[in-house]
Amino acid sequence: MVININLDKAAGELEVQELEAPNGVASPHVYERLLAIYLCQNDLCNAKFLWKRIPASVKTAAPELASIWAVGQQMWKRDFPAIYNALNSVTWSENVADIMREVQEITRLRAVDLITRAYSSISLDAVAHMTGLTSDVANKACSEKGWQIEADTNIVHPVRSSTVIIGQNSSEDQLYRLTDFVSFLEN
Amino acid sequence: MASALEQFVNTVRTLSSQGNYRELCDYLCKASEILIKNNPHLDNVLETLDIQQHSLGVLAILCAKYNIPNATNIQEARFNQTKDFINNCNGEQIRLAPDTFAELCHLVTSNLVEQKQPMKGILLLRKAISKLQLFDSQLTSIHADLCQLCLLAKCLKPALELLDIDIIGICQEINTQIQGGAQFDAKYFLLYYHYGGMIYLAVRNLERALYFFEVAITTPARAVSHIMLESYKKYILVSLLLHGKIQTIPKYASQVVCRFIKPLSQPYHELANAFASNSTSELNSVVNKHSEIFTRDHNMGLVKQISSVLYKKNIQRLTKTFLTLSLSDVASRVGLPGPADAEKYILHMIEDEQIYATINQKDGMVIFRDEPEKYSGPEVLQSLETQLQACMELDKQILQMDEEIQVNPQYVKKAAGLQEDEQPTKSTYVM
Amino acid sequence: MPLQLQDPLFQNAIEPMQVDAPPEDNENNEEENYVVENPTLDLEAYANSYTGLAKLYRLMYIVDHCPSLRLEALKMAISYVMTTYNVGLYQVLHQKLAELTSCSGLPDVASQSTSQDIPTIDQSWMETMSKKAAHKLEKLDNDLKNYKSNSIKESIRRGHDDLGDHYLDCGDLSSALKCYSRARDYCTSGKHVINMCLNVIKVSVYLQNWSHVLSYVSKAESTPDFTESTAKDSNQVILTKLKCAAGLAELATRQYKSAAKHFLLANLDHCDFPELLSPNNVAMYGGLCALATFDRHELQKKVIFSSSFKLFLELEPQLRDIIFKFYESKYASCLKLLDEIKDNLLLDMYIAPHINTLYTQIRNRALIQYFSPYLSADMHKMASAFNRTVTALEDELMQLILDGQIQARIDSHNKILFAKDVDQRSTTFEKSLQMGKEYQRRTRMLILRAAVLKSKIQVRSPRRGEAAGQTEEITIAPGTSSSLPVF
Repeated sequence: MVININLDKAAGELEVQELEAPNGVASPHVYERLLAIYLCQNDLCNAKFLWKRIPASVKTAAPELASIWAVGQQMWKRDFPAIYNALNSVTWSENVADIMREVQEITRLRAVDLITRAYSSISLDAVAHMTGLTSDVANKACSEKGWQIEADTNIVHPVRSSTVIIGQNSSEDQLYRLTDFVSFLEN
Repeated sequence: MASALEQFVNTVRTLSSQGNYRELCDYLCKASEILIKNNPHLDNVLETLDIQQHSLGVLAILCAKYNIPNATNIQEARFNQTKDFINNCNGEQIRLAPDTFAELCHLVTSNLVEQKQPMKGILLLRKAISKLQLFDSQLTSIHADLCQLCLLAKCLKPALELLDIDIIGICQEINTQIQGGAQFDAKYFLLYYHYGGMIYLAVRNLERALYFFEVAITTPARAVSHIMLESYKKYILVSLLLHGKIQTIPKYASQVVCRFIKPLSQPYHELANAFASNSTSELNSVVNKHSEIFTRDHNMGLVKQISSVLYKKNIQRLTKTFLTLSLSDVASRVGLPGPADAEKYILHMIEDEQIYATINQKDGMVIFRDEPEKYSGPEVLQSLETQLQACMELDKQILQMDEEIQVNPQYVKKAAGLQEDEQPTKSTYVM
Repeated sequence: MPLQLQDPLFQNAIEPMQVDAPPEDNENNEEENYVVENPTLDLEAYANSYTGLAKLYRLMYIVDHCPSLRLEALKMAISYVMTTYNVGLYQVLHQKLAELTSCSGLPDVASQSTSQDIPTIDQSWMETMSKKAAHKLEKLDNDLKNYKSNSIKESIRRGHDDLGDHYLDCGDLSSALKCYSRARDYCTSGKHVINMCLNVIKVSVYLQNWSHVLSYVSKAESTPDFTESTAKDSNQVILTKLKCAAGLAELATRQYKSAAKHFLLANLDHCDFPELLSPNNVAMYGGLCALATFDRHELQKKVIFSSSFKLFLELEPQLRDIIFKFYESKYASCLKLLDEIKDNLLLDMYIAPHINTLYTQIRNRALIQYFSPYLSADMHKMASAFNRTVTALEDELMQLILDGQIQARIDSHNKILFAKDVDQRSTTFEKSLQMGKEYQRRTRMLILRAAVLKSKIQVRSPRRGEAAGQTEEITIAPGTSSSLPVF
């Protein structure tokens, strides 16, 4: 949660920096971070438009941008193995390394969530592909989550986790709003 | 020559200091020719005026500068002057000449578009809009410019901030070029809603996009506007993407839409019919038949999306009829090449919460489930609350509008006197 | 020369008063390409239940669709047409005959039975008939002129009617229609009005102008005389005629339910309308339409327990069995019987175009009724009850579920059909949220529209102020669209 808020804030600042840049061209660092943050937020539309609007000269000067966008492209296609591939084939510069690590983490969480939602049984290989882990690690991770694995067929049975809802606002506030509604409806 | 300019400066100064802005406006209207004629000296004149105190005068000069032909060498300086002016001018003064101010912004915009530097103008125009507006939800003709720049710069967020505010009022820009007094040019209105729709489309907010295109095509019209035609085409496509059929166009849409625009969009109607048939092959044949037109209209991307949406729609139809189905059956019923493709589509749809299903890789079966949402829990209450609040807000606005009409002398006169003229009041007009 | 030597059927296509016919013709054409191989129709008896053009048209329909009966039907038609003045149709029939005999595809039929008794075209008959027709026309025309100069209303009306009858006899339908309609201005009693209506209806049916038929039926029914004394026998005849004509028109325009209702009101004892329909037709048309559109309750009340329609059903025992089997939920045998009578029905010019639709509707109704008492049903059993494979049944059920006719879902894995349980609470939530959203959207639009109208925004034609014109818009368009994202 905290990271998300920070990212939003950072993105906002970077966007302003880009807009205020003289001649509308910001420094490559700004672009890199912003692009990475968009990926982290899974805001692929804005990532794509950012990539499209970055001037060609900047792209050639900062080749890392292309590597970041390569990740984005795979995310757009929702090709999980290719995302991990793109993420791990590059050593990220300090500027974006932390964010890209976050991207990987989030992607994996998304994959796990999707598996629990969409499959009642799935092969271990597919799990490994979607999470970007080796079979052994995936096997271990599955057992940790309490998913059953059929030893002979290597079929995993994911267990749906009940989602926990947080964020309850104060009852006083609620009461106030309720009175509001009632008075509105009665008039 | 110089004397004419001197006189100009003097008039601006005296009238401004007297606070006699209306007269100044009238004067400036007539002065523009003199200014254009004396263009080499305009920078000097500019120096003698103060941006805050003589905003109207400066505005006139800048406008004149943009009207000078072949001004490539002064681009940079001129832009900076304008930037300075827009950032620091006196809002009250320029609101007395909204048309000129908007005109300046249009000129700046087209200039930036020509120079292919749309990015530079985005913040500037935002500032300009806020100077001209009396309140946030007021539409100015500069809105359209900003949207255009954002689209060209492929930088959509700044425009979205504006687009997300629902317009409830329209700035009265007196356009001197059209007779008939206070007029907001329909062109900018249409452009705003067309561009806005495109921006929402780009960020995949289809519902809003549809709303914007609908506004564009229901604008009162006595002639065919090309913007409206393009909006209509996109309206059909978005409607298909979102609802799987063409939404009915509101009755209050102008007759022009039915009579001229519909026949002009024949290929799109064919597409919609093919889509309604749920047959992939039929859809593809229409797409191929008219691909040239779709490409020419720059709608091919959307058309392609529609083809893939048809698969999804057909899968959704399956969820309504089946409890379980094998992946290969899904593929054959929907017309996909194989079970693997079917699995991919279903996976994507599950992720997007378009269907509720579980895949059983072991048996190659899909189990379709009902929507698990049971409408219980605090988050439902919360969303209900926000919705209700929005409705209440709207209701309040309507009441306010109603009150305004109630006290409108013309209305009172009409309502009190015999209702000889059965002209509908605005509150009943659209309802 | 007022006599037209054209085929009246072709003439139909250009009849100006026809509003609905052309599209119907097209639809018929699509379905006209079928061929019926093994009818069990007794042609002689069939033809004898009709007179006038109805007989000819029906025979021609058989000629077009049934090779095995083609020759016989043609001969019958030719011998019948020779009792009328319809020289045009005579020619057409002979043309068809010539095609048939010259066609080498049918040597067996031609060689063994007929080469001698095939009628040859009789030029002298044609000439005399044309002359006679012209002569009679002239006489009738003169009579009418005389009546008119004497301005005796009743005579003028009769004159028009006679002229109409003659035109009809000659096969000139549009002129006949004109004459019959002209009689309208000279009607002095309700009876005359009804008579005029019946004439117009008859011709309109031949012309397949169904909207015309319906409007004249309602005109006749609203005639004061008629409504006052429906009890009388003669009126029963008229009532039955009107109901039959209306049913036919509804059938042709695919309003099967109201067609059924009309036919069911016919009365067998007074069913005498050989120019259009036989009582058997009424039974068949009415029964099938009712089966396809009535629910169980209606079927019981209006068909099975209807004392008047029962008599009709006795004329068509097969149909009666079908209806009873359907009502007793013996769907397999019901559907089998339906298939048996299909060939004959396909030779009936009025119901043939609708057979497939009606049959599908009957099937669907059967499927729905079959499943209605169950929470879950084994599709294997269901398939055997309907003479279908399980996969075909699955497809059929899928369509019904999508149309919302069956509230159920299919477990394709175990081949079981489950009734769907609807959670009232969730649907209510869903609906109200949807409504709220819709309300917000519309209200926003309303407020905006008020603002638009207030500031008088309107797209004008370009001549008012070139600056606001469209030339500029066009130039803008490419720039904007180029930035349209291509996904």
